[in-house]
Amino acid sequence: MWKNYLKISLRNLRKRKLYTAINLLGLTIALVSFIAISLYIHHEWSYDRMITDSDRIYKINQEFISAGESQLVGSSPALLPVTLREDFTEVEKATLVFDLSIFSSVMVDAGQGNQEESKFAYVDEYFYDVFDFEMIAGNRETVLSEPNQIVLTESTANRLFGSDASATGKSLKVDGKDFLVTGVMRDFPSTSHMEFDFLASFKTHRDSREPQWSPSNYYNYVKMKPGADMTQFKSNMDQMVDKYLGSDMDEYGFETAFFTQPLTSIHLGDPTLNPIKPGTEIKYLYIFGVVAILLIAIGMINYVNLATAEATERNKEVGLRKVMGAGRMQLFGQFVSESMLLSFGAILLSILLLYLIAIPFENFGGVPLNLDLLFSPIGMVGLLGLALIVGLLAGFYPSMILSQMQPLKALGNKLKIGSGAWVRKSLVVFQFFVSMGLLIATFVVKNQLDFMQEVNLGYEKEQVVALNYHHNMREAIPTLRDEMVRSGAASSISRAADMPHNVKAGYKIFPGGDNTREFMITGYAADPELIKTINLELVEGENYSESDPLRSSLEDENSLMPILLNESGIAEMGWTAKVAIGKRVNMGFTNNAVVKGVIKDFYFNSLHQKVGPMVIFNDPNEANILLIKLSAGNPTANLATIGEVWTKLVPDRPFNPKFLDQEYASLYQSEQNVSLIFSLFSGIAVFIACMGLFGLVSYVALRRTREISIRKVLGASQGDVLQVLSMDFLKLLGVSAVLAIGFGVWFSDSWLGAFANRAALTIWPFVIAILAVMVLAMLTIGYRSWKVFRLNPAKTLKSE
Amino acid sequence: MIQLKELDKYIESRFQRVFILKGIDLTINEGEFITLMGPSGAGKSTLLNILGLLDEEYEGEYLFGDRSIKSMKDRERSALHKSEFGYIFQAYHLIDELTVYENIETPLLYRNVSSNERKSIIANLLDRFSMVAKKDLFPAQLSGGQQQLVGIARAVAGRPRVLLADEPTGNLHSGQAKEIMEVFQELHRDGTTIIQATHSRENADYGTRLIDMLDGKIEKDEAIIHV
Repeated sequence: MWKNYLKISLRNLRKRKLYTAINLLGLTIALVSFIAISLYIHHEWSYDRMITDSDRIYKINQEFISAGESQLVGSSPALLPVTLREDFTEVEKATLVFDLSIFSSVMVDAGQGNQEESKFAYVDEYFYDVFDFEMIAGNRETVLSEPNQIVLTESTANRLFGSDASATGKSLKVDGKDFLVTGVMRDFPSTSHMEFDFLASFKTHRDSREPQWSPSNYYNYVKMKPGADMTQFKSNMDQMVDKYLGSDMDEYGFETAFFTQPLTSIHLGDPTLNPIKPGTEIKYLYIFGVVAILLIAIGMINYVNLATAEATERNKEVGLRKVMGAGRMQLFGQFVSESMLLSFGAILLSILLLYLIAIPFENFGGVPLNLDLLFSPIGMVGLLGLALIVGLLAGFYPSMILSQMQPLKALGNKLKIGSGAWVRKSLVVFQFFVSMGLLIATFVVKNQLDFMQEVNLGYEKEQVVALNYHHNMREAIPTLRDEMVRSGAASSISRAADMPHNVKAGYKIFPGGDNTREFMITGYAADPELIKTINLELVEGENYSESDPLRSSLEDENSLMPILLNESGIAEMGWTAKVAIGKRVNMGFTNNAVVKGVIKDFYFNSLHQKVGPMVIFNDPNEANILLIKLSAGNPTANLATIGEVWTKLVPDRPFNPKFLDQEYASLYQSEQNVSLIFSLFSGIAVFIACMGLFGLVSYVALRRTREISIRKVLGASQGDVLQVLSMDFLKLLGVSAVLAIGFGVWFSDSWLGAFANRAALTIWPFVIAILAVMVLAMLTIGYRSWKVFRLNPAKTLKSE
Repeated sequence: MIQLKELDKYIESRFQRVFILKGIDLTINEGEFITLMGPSGAGKSTLLNILGLLDEEYEGEYLFGDRSIKSMKDRERSALHKSEFGYIFQAYHLIDELTVYENIETPLLYRNVSSNERKSIIANLLDRFSMVAKKDLFPAQLSGGQQQLVGIARAVAGRPRVLLADEPTGNLHSGQAKEIMEVFQELHRDGTTIIQATHSRENADYGTRLIDMLDGKIEKDEAIIHV
């Protein structure tokens, strides 16, 4: 029976070449997108799951509550893991990771001179007890148990020593200090939230000698004993905080608490808690998942629509089969086998296609597509299930319609196919609703991205280059700066603690004298040149100067440290710009700060956040970045000149400039990715939907060939024919457009809600998206109607 | 075998009932070869469709054996339809996408006949109708007479007791028609009950009973005596 179904199905598919091609192509493209998205979601979901007992491993994060504001950080103190190991019976192991890159890069010399390395961490000797990464060489129990030991990853060992086998036993210098390579481990998997090239023994670091409850600069992980009660653990940690930190909290007026985060949810969790490697926000995984399902739906709808439209052509066959004794189920089976055949064909094609696009996809989206997964048992079952579900869902409705025809009516050609028409119409409306909706979303995202690139940030990021420097270069910096300015390549240079688009340090501030009210303020340590270098606007008062007292010289009661406040800052104080000048404020570390100037607000953070209060003060000891405004002229030449100066004065430090505007753009990497993926998938949706439309119009054109020929004989123009064929569809597209506008408004509201600073919502994304789809649809219909119009009426009419 | 009592079929139009069949009383015995004759619109096809269980919208009683069709459940009716009836159409109604072999095979598939049995039944039929060489051709590649032979082979493949033929030779020229009627005669001789509707008096001569119909009524019902 099934052999027979298969044979008939194949012949039918072959006979209706156009429809088969449309269905197959549409389904294949949809399936490729679906499988690619599934693999991507699986990839993101699988983060850190390769670690044995990953379900028992947690990262410890810390919450600070100060001045009524809560701040969550992904790090915790060095004493925490020690205490957890010693005092907590429910903890099996605890380990500390000190990621040096959050402070600065290191200079590694493995015999070929200094190289700048940023993926460098100190970890304690318990690291491999919690994370069972594979060792290639060295004993995991002892590789990091003594000071000055270091473990390299496989590729780092290859890079520095030519082979991973020969690295063990070699020594290398890190910032001038000798280390012995005691082991080589496999590279961190791409699905690990950690990514380091060097793991040095924490015992080397001075912080390990007398670990404290402050600062909270370390990533700490615990492995719980099986069946440990996490609620109990949390309350035990709260008691620990009271015991060890209670007096500090009282004295400095803050509260703190530790909380756990499962290892497997780090990558998809709050990005601020995971600074090692950028994570993925889980909401995007949901969005992509929904988009994947919508694309499949659009592909399946093509099948449903074409198959039901075709039902009129097949009613004779159905009637005959019924007369010959076919039962409903037997006919149903036959028609479903047709859609099954198609969906299995599409699956096979899409696997082939995936192999073709895997490499470009990885280069383009930065996501590895692990196609081997498709041939694992789970992958095979998944593909099989997908084919069955798609085949059944697509085939169900048409098969039902076809198999329930009354044989006499079917044979007598009395059947009117009007019954299924509203279903087909609603499905077309749905397809184009999704296409237009996705396109509107794409434009909304794009609009916001453009806004973020072009908005007046309050400072100039163009032609500004940042150079990181190490704290032990501080002595050389003034000379370096002066030489660069003298070379003519730089117009002004400022030493700063942060890049202006990402100022992090938080301070507590008390309006002068009055210690009852306090609030949090962002502090930007930079020398007086900052204002000129990034072109900040001074609205009141004046800039501080090099000769003013610095934070370090504040022991003297009478010397006052000048500061600049931004407009939000003085507003928070309750001052106007004029009143503010000359006011004394208490900044926590000093009571002797005086407001010397007020600057206009600038965006010193991601546009997701509002501009808050900011204080700018001079503190060369905090600074580790040179912000360089290039002189007018060729930036490449200017940069080269600056590089020469750098190499001449600090030859042992690599020259590694970063353009401020590029760094700024990278703040919105996840939005860029979303925009990219949205445009890709909305394009695919429009394409598949238009193919389906083409099929439907072809079908209608075929049925109405005679009518159109008669009209032509009577003098209808090509435009008239187009109108005849397109009117019905245009109405449907109109309904889709209305629905899509509704969706678009909702989407812009909720997606843009994540931005404190958002682009004005204009009508353009809607107009462009809907027009684009309409025009494409009209072209599709137009092409088909042109072909019908070209037919010679003498021939078409004769055949009737 | 078949008994119709007071059978009416009509269409409700706006002002009146239009009767297609009115007051049909008919008894058909096993082994008869009946010819329905009459002008177009006399109700021949409608009567055939009702007899063949393709049309269930009528009033009156239809007994098959001693069971009333109306009292049957859908499944029983469908089983009866499958096991007892074969159909032959004026326009052949072969499935264009299937070969000769597959067309004949289709009813057997729906009767869940095993693969080996199917092969032997079809081989016999092809042999009997001298179509062995044509078994892999599609209907479009055959002449009208050949197509109708396939139609007959398909109708008898499931070994029905009753064969219903609606103008089986209507689209054929006389030579082909004669051939078809000889096949009918042979099937009749083997015991199949045949009911055909036709315009042609010559075709009636192959049968055993002639029923003349006019305006939905039986005008004349007579036996045909073969000399």
